[in-house]
Amino acid sequence: MLKSTAGLASRSLKARLLIASFILLPMIIGVAGYALQNSFSYSLQASLEKRLRLQIYLMIGSAEMQEGKLVIGEGQQLRLGSDTYGYIHTHLGLLQWESTNTDELSAKVKDSIVASRIRIGETRFLYFEENNLYLYQYPLQWDDGLMARRYLFSIVESGAQVTAELNAYRTQLWGWLFAVTVLALMLQTLITRWGLKPLSALVDDLHNIERGYSTRLEGYYPEEVQGVTDSLNHLLHSERNQRERYRNTLGDLAHSLKTPLAVIRGAGNEQLLYEGYRNVVDDQVRRMDQIVQYQLARAVRSQANTIAHATPLAPIIKRISSALSKVYREKNVDVSLLLDETALFGADERDMMELLGNMLENAFKYGHSAVRISLIKEPEWVQLNIEDDGPGVSPDMRHVILQRGARVDTSAAPGQGIGLTVAVDILSSYDGHLEVGESSLGGARFKIILPTG
Amino acid sequence: MKLLVVEDDADLRRQLVSGLESNGYTVEETADGQEALYLGSEFSYDLAIVDLGLPSLSGVELIKQWRAQERNFPILILTARSDWQDKVEGLEAGADDFLVKPFHMEELLARLNALLRRAAGHAKPVLEFGSLSLDTVGRVVSCDSKPIKLTSYEYRTLEYLMLNAGKTVSKSELTEHLYHQDFDRDSNVLEVFIRRLRQKLDPEQKLQPITTVRGLGYRFDLSSS
Repeated sequence: MLKSTAGLASRSLKARLLIASFILLPMIIGVAGYALQNSFSYSLQASLEKRLRLQIYLMIGSAEMQEGKLVIGEGQQLRLGSDTYGYIHTHLGLLQWESTNTDELSAKVKDSIVASRIRIGETRFLYFEENNLYLYQYPLQWDDGLMARRYLFSIVESGAQVTAELNAYRTQLWGWLFAVTVLALMLQTLITRWGLKPLSALVDDLHNIERGYSTRLEGYYPEEVQGVTDSLNHLLHSERNQRERYRNTLGDLAHSLKTPLAVIRGAGNEQLLYEGYRNVVDDQVRRMDQIVQYQLARAVRSQANTIAHATPLAPIIKRISSALSKVYREKNVDVSLLLDETALFGADERDMMELLGNMLENAFKYGHSAVRISLIKEPEWVQLNIEDDGPGVSPDMRHVILQRGARVDTSAAPGQGIGLTVAVDILSSYDGHLEVGESSLGGARFKIILPTG
Repeated sequence: MKLLVVEDDADLRRQLVSGLESNGYTVEETADGQEALYLGSEFSYDLAIVDLGLPSLSGVELIKQWRAQERNFPILILTARSDWQDKVEGLEAGADDFLVKPFHMEELLARLNALLRRAAGHAKPVLEFGSLSLDTVGRVVSCDSKPIKLTSYEYRTLEYLMLNAGKTVSKSELTEHLYHQDFDRDSNVLEVFIRRLRQKLDPEQKLQPITTVRGLGYRFDLSSS
């Protein structure tokens, strides 16, 4: 039972909130009710004590010495209620006077009246639970001019009235508290339902998307949920785009792979010599390889508009250049890095790795012995210069390199890598641009601008 | 030269092994990362070719574990994926070079050659010892620029001794690194090769490039120029 409740609670927010209210609210109201009941009971007793003291004062006022005893004469106008009993004892416990109705009291109560000594100036207020009786006692020094004697005035009253009042109060109190609890729980249930309604609506909307009735979360949501729905919509959108891109890529891939396959099949029928056939197969395999690489790189690449982290560029450059130094160890390339470590760019790290990997590999490949990489942070952009001391790029080739989105499957010359094409493609998806120039090292200088503003 | 090929694709592995063997390498092969880890830790190889996408133990992990055990033979990684993340991770794990599939056998051989020479401390493809030189790319040995005709086994024996110049190489090490397992280790074929090498390299016995260290093996004694 407990387990199933816990299970339910962990599954549903509504259940969590309601279980909490249904346990806590009655507890709080119960404690409050108990406190109220107690304080009312104290105040009833206090007022009773006050009334009994008043009665004692009246008794004292009516008391007189008759034949050596302190009594309340018949003629005195002292009226005690039917449930009230009065006594006067000497301080040694000798009965001086008692009211007429005292026969009704049990011996035990009578004994306890004289059982204790009270000093002058003190009073005693007691409750006998089994008889439901209250006792108030007041000691007094009586000076009749000849000698001073000490007496104890006692008054006993039935607690029936107090009990009745307390019971009436209790019934009222718990009745109201119960009503308040029920009302509060009902309100709480309604509030919870109302408060969580947007979430139920969100679930319904998501179901609709799953079933294909809609493509985005259309509903109007409160501020707290709007952030989530906006992100979800963004995610759905980019996921849809991604899927679209995969589909296009697969289409392009299938389409562009068929041409080289056709060439190979055709070559099989041409009765070529082994060397000729091998050349055809070689060329077409290279072509297919480039197509696959290029299209996969395009499809996998994250879109610039998806949530991108600020990626620090300096560590990526260091990793790639140390890996490349290893590969081109024989060249003994002198690599100088002038990197601003604080330069960040909001992009997918893999994309940056691809971009920088391709650019840096070219520098290592074409440079003779020196490569210089500098990373500069400007307020609006990040600038990256990659220079080498190789043969450089002729002005007419620079134009070809910068042509955006040139399709490698139709344009790539044999032996020419697709690295630069992939790099330019990534760059343009981040609105960056590339300039090719001459380096003071003697070779090519690739200047990359990545806008951060 | 004894190589270890770790590649899970059976066709490609067969091609690699036959290509390498026909170029004079002794090759051991495995498709499994765990087995490769065992072989690399227990036996001595001159170089390993490792595919990154292996079952049971990834190529990167395999390389890391070898390097952690201080196995220092050069490692060439093969990868089907061309992304830089993979390449950089492989090189950072301890590989020395990478090759992206598909590749030409010639390209692979050139990379192997460079790695083997580099591991032996020779930057240039031609090993030169006085008037003797050995071109590891063209696989040509010459004395005073005159080419010397060597058989494949003779060439491999000389190349191994030259790459380990100054060190005494035991007969069993030579046998293990140069010949297939089915080679008859007890025969005196090795002594015959050495004798013929001495005759071809130094017919007048002036240079005396190969010394027999009695009971231990052979040593190439000329100093590099």
